[in-house]
Amino acid sequence: MSMTTRRRLIASLLAGGAVVAAAPLFAGHASAAEAGAPPHRDAADNEALNACLDRESRMVATYRKAIVGLTENDLIAMTLILDHHIAYAHALKGYLAVEAITPSSAPLASPTGSLTSIARQLATLEDQTATIHTNTIGTIKGLDAATLLASIVTVEARHAAALELIAGASPIAAVGN
Amino acid sequence: MLRSSGALAATSAVLAACSSTKPSIARIGESPTTVKLEDLAVTDIVLLRTAMSMETMAAAMLSDTAVTAIASKDSASVIAAFSTDHTSHLEDLRVLISARNGEVYTETNAKLMQAYGQTALDLIASGKLPADVLALTLAVETLIAATYQYFVSLTAEPALRADMVRLGGRSSRRAAVAAQLINGGTGGFAPANDKDGVALVATLPGAFGSLSAVQVQLGPVNEVGTRATVLMDTPSLNSLIY
Repeated sequence: MSMTTRRRLIASLLAGGAVVAAAPLFAGHASAAEAGAPPHRDAADNEALNACLDRESRMVATYRKAIVGLTENDLIAMTLILDHHIAYAHALKGYLAVEAITPSSAPLASPTGSLTSIARQLATLEDQTATIHTNTIGTIKGLDAATLLASIVTVEARHAAALELIAGASPIAAVGN
Repeated sequence: MLRSSGALAATSAVLAACSSTKPSIARIGESPTTVKLEDLAVTDIVLLRTAMSMETMAAAMLSDTAVTAIASKDSASVIAAFSTDHTSHLEDLRVLISARNGEVYTETNAKLMQAYGQTALDLIASGKLPADVLALTLAVETLIAATYQYFVSLTAEPALRADMVRLGGRSSRRAAVAAQLINGGTGGFAPANDKDGVALVATLPGAFGSLSAVQVQLGPVNEVGTRATVLMDTPSLNSLIY
């Protein structure tokens, strides 16, 4: 064995030994940090999360009805919101995995006509959906699901305000004051 | 033999280093005294106090003379109402803190005001562009909404997480209104570019709330034809109010 190879072997052994020796120390710190922290997941949350999934699935069905007959920018805008709700349903389904129910595909309303005429109805549905998710955040224990729902509510609040404006509300009224 | 002796030597060295309380390396000259940082925990009260500092900062920025002096007639009343909303949220937060025996915080977030708040106001004052006022409003409301969204992941008490989301939702709504005042109608809902390829303001920039830094271009056009970009980050460990 050459001198260089022997030195490399000794150096790698030293490094390997240090890692092995240090690992329990780091592991001890990690477990101490996790102690008392909220759980990332909790099986008891599944029922409430399935209710959120069901709601999102029904929002998808509602927007599928709403976009019929719309054109140009109105169609693009409502298809965008439809895509958002599809993404929410997928995200919740993915989170629940094998615990996910088969959600309802019944629309929550039958909005038809021009966007101006249906926007307020859609805004109300967005508000109600955001409220359902917010109330769920207040009851579930798992931090990951709460974080996911929070990222959904943040955008659904935007949906609601934007639709209120399209329906003819003033800027201050659209904020919900 | 070489392998086992090497591992043994390494383990011994690490354990010996851990067990010793005195510095094992000789030092020549003066050595600085190491002051151990205070062990601070991110509690629900810390998050609420920080939220108060952010709401105070938002209200202060939106009512600053740099903003009110150049706001258009239409946007001035809306921005004033938004500023009042932030002040009213302070009362909500005050109740939540008092219920947890915490101490309210009435100042702005000094670190974030220094990091980007004052810079944004100075740029608006030097640019004197009315369009900057709505751009700042959109950025501030997006920032506050993102702050509450982020705080959900740090909050221990589930009921308080819901309160955080309710407050964040109000800022989200204001952000949507500000975006529509900049780029109105359903044409402004989806992300798009203008004919020159420059990104337009979108009311619904993404399906999920973003936690990345809020970017806003403010101030005068510089000598190379661009404008300053201000990055606004949500509070982090060094800007929480402990």
